Amino acid sequence: MTTIDVEARGIGKRFPGVVANHDVSLHIRPERVHALIGENGAGKSTLMKILYGVQGADDGEIVVDGRPVTFSSPTDAIAAGIGMVFQHFMLADNLTIAENIVLGAEKRHGIGEAAKREIRTISERFGFGLDPDALVEKLGVADRQRVEILKVLYRGARLIILDEPTAVLVPQEVDALFANLRELVGQGCSVLFISHKLDEVLSIADDITVMRRGTTVGTADPARATKAELAELMVGSELPSPATAESTVTERPVLRLETVTVADETGREVLHDISLTVHAGEVVGIAGVEGNGQSELVEVVMGMMRARSGSIHLGDDDITRLNTRAVRDLGVGFVPEDRHRHGLVLDYPLWENRVLGHQTSAPAVRRGLVSRKGARADAQRIIEQFDVRTPGVDTSARALSGGNQQKFIVGREMSGEPRLLVASHPTRGVDVGAQAAIWDHIREARREGLGVLLVSADLDELIGLSDRLEVILRGRLTARFDPSTVTASDLGEAMTGGGVVAS
Amino acid sequence: MTTQHQGFSAEVARARTIRYTWWLAALAVIVVISTVRLYTGADRITAPGTLRAAIIGACPILLAGLGGLWAERAGIVNIGLEGQMLLGTWGAAFFAYHYGPLAGVLGAALMGLLGGLLHAIATVSFGVDHIISGVAINIVGLGAIGFLAKTTFDDLEGGGPRNLSGYSTPPEFTVPLVADGARSLADRNWFIISDVAGAIAGVTTRLSLLTVLTFVLVGVTAWVLWRTSFGLRLRSCGENPQAAETLGIDVYRYKYVAVLISGAFAGLGGAYLAMVASSSFTVGQTGGRGYIGLAAMIFGNWRPSGVLTGSLMFGYTDGISLLSNSGVLVHALLLLVAIGLAVFAVLKLRAAEKITAAVMAGLSIGAFVWYFSSDSVNTSFTGMTPYVVTLFVLAVFSQRLRMPAADGQQYRRGGAG
Repeated sequence: MTTIDVEARGIGKRFPGVVANHDVSLHIRPERVHALIGENGAGKSTLMKILYGVQGADDGEIVVDGRPVTFSSPTDAIAAGIGMVFQHFMLADNLTIAENIVLGAEKRHGIGEAAKREIRTISERFGFGLDPDALVEKLGVADRQRVEILKVLYRGARLIILDEPTAVLVPQEVDALFANLRELVGQGCSVLFISHKLDEVLSIADDITVMRRGTTVGTADPARATKAELAELMVGSELPSPATAESTVTERPVLRLETVTVADETGREVLHDISLTVHAGEVVGIAGVEGNGQSELVEVVMGMMRARSGSIHLGDDDITRLNTRAVRDLGVGFVPEDRHRHGLVLDYPLWENRVLGHQTSAPAVRRGLVSRKGARADAQRIIEQFDVRTPGVDTSARALSGGNQQKFIVGREMSGEPRLLVASHPTRGVDVGAQAAIWDHIREARREGLGVLLVSADLDELIGLSDRLEVILRGRLTARFDPSTVTASDLGEAMTGGGVVAS
Repeated sequence: MTTQHQGFSAEVARARTIRYTWWLAALAVIVVISTVRLYTGADRITAPGTLRAAIIGACPILLAGLGGLWAERAGIVNIGLEGQMLLGTWGAAFFAYHYGPLAGVLGAALMGLLGGLLHAIATVSFGVDHIISGVAINIVGLGAIGFLAKTTFDDLEGGGPRNLSGYSTPPEFTVPLVADGARSLADRNWFIISDVAGAIAGVTTRLSLLTVLTFVLVGVTAWVLWRTSFGLRLRSCGENPQAAETLGIDVYRYKYVAVLISGAFAGLGGAYLAMVASSSFTVGQTGGRGYIGLAAMIFGNWRPSGVLTGSLMFGYTDGISLLSNSGVLVHALLLLVAIGLAVFAVLKLRAAEKITAAVMAGLSIGAFVWYFSSDSVNTSFTGMTPYVVTLFVLAVFSQRLRMPAADGQQYRRGGAG
């Protein structure tokens, strides 16, 4: 396999009203893992889209193997040997692995047996273990990611761009991914690795470039750089830590689940005999590999799913059979897992989003009618208090970066002094600055007696924020840890069922 | 590696089991039909003439359904099938009258394609809601052919302001030996054998070339969409257009092609109505078959074989409602429906879906009661049969269907990532 040398020189990209990239320079050397780090909204995604031809650059040039190139579509980038794995996987669920991979590259080996043979060959060479005939729908996150990488390799890409590939993986899966990446680099590929998890970057990267406010602000050598130095380059401040200082746990239960069992539409049990108590002033963290019942646990508490048996109490109120509206009215805030699907109406302005979920209570609503004035004023309060970076309350939610959307949601869910906060991945896809702010707010509310049910895939967050950790595996709570003594690898082992990585 | 291999052979074994189950189910259906025929004495339910009427009823629905399949596999809901079919009926009559039957068929496809083009421009280029555009096409289609018929057919011999006859239609042929042999078997009223023979005779007697073309197109559709890279790309646009875009596929182009083909198929359905199902053109002769085609496609779970099954079922009910003295036939059908519902209720009960099972059982009992308390279904009702069956089948089957994931969604270029 021939190697590839890609350089971006002075890239600039403007959108109406925003300069997304200016004077961005980056050199990806052959057979190296190059990490690109920066906060959300620092312009990493724009740069990647330019490198992959999804968007065109306004200024600057891309140089591949010494020759300037222009990409008008991903096809051109693919032809030049550049492939990309998006953060949100670009796979069609209803097609097989083979169909997803050969799509758009049918000329290479057709769409029949020859193509499947080639897929098996690549899969074996890098130890992916994928069956080309399996439906993508049936695959877990780690396997989907491998399909994406395979897709890129099948096209003969020599530079593979990975956009926050570890965001959805558990530690063992991250290790497996890094082994795959090492294998790729060993066989002549280059990797551009986008992340804001500094310890991962330090462990995998050969070169590091840091972006801030749309431009590249420096490079670092992972052999010598420390996390603190990188964080300072990224945000111009010190690395936030989720550690909670003193315990504020009380004896007063806020949420009590007793032997709750939940079944999905097909009758399969997704939660089995769950008993769990969250006290006032306590953060209970739920750790687990995605798809082991976390979403269902959250949904059954929120009244979005019904328990088949068992009971759920909020303080002294039985909420087992209540709907979401009633549950929320009893004082439950909810930060949903997917803010685009559940948390926000993206095309509504912020103040209208402020009303959502609070459409029965002041200040957003008075006498059954939406109070425009009250809602706007309260949206403004959230913007100031939670440091949401936006031009104003009339801006549509879509125009905000992920971190700012999330801060707004957390702010909204904390209004009206809830008793319980159900937080599902509250800082997923959020940059370090916003992450620290969200952690601070959760900690502060907890000090005032809020109970928090925290579901997260970020182990640092779980360990740092929780007073107690519960591990969920195949719909059962299987282990309990004290966050002050547990290590990430213990937890990872419990999450995957005793050291065996779930396949 | 071994586990993967085992998984693979298990998959094959399961596929084989599924195939067996299907054969058994088909056999069971034939046995039940045959039993019902003997029991009710309504021998005509599997007579060659009835089945020929069923095929003729099925083909326009099948063509519309396949048209819908093409569009929806690329992510565009084409509810304008009805309007495109209407355009097809006029195209068939006009071109066949002046230039012969082949031109009639091609002209119908062309007119349908124009309707498809309109839908593609609206939905793909301008992002108009698919349903709104489709309904508009249905209204425009009816208005357009009314106008076209008045201006082009009024002065012709055999023509009027709203109709035309006297043009030549595609040739028909009867398969020698097979047709006669099957017919004589069918007349014996033997259990099962006569029913199957009736079906064979119905298919092989006075078979129109357009019917043959229709069934060939089922195979062609399946082959193109699932066995060629063109089809893979087209389907990817209906499953995840953003993903297709990141792989360098021109999603707009595939959507356009799909909707154009969809319109052409619907146009052919119109040709079938104006040239085979009857030999004359009337404004509005589709009678909602475009919608029934769409229903057959949904019933068929967006697959050609499913569309075929659905169309045959709707075609059968449509076909018999047109026969003379159809009240007795529909009455016999009632018993069949009652049995079908009872079977379904049992299946649902075993799947622990108690409410659905109870509703099915209730309907089944209702159908039994209706059957045993009357001798015939009033002819005012028999014409409704295909529509009632459509509603009914969709209500029962639409629960576990898997439509293309991005079907009916607006797609804009550059949204990937």
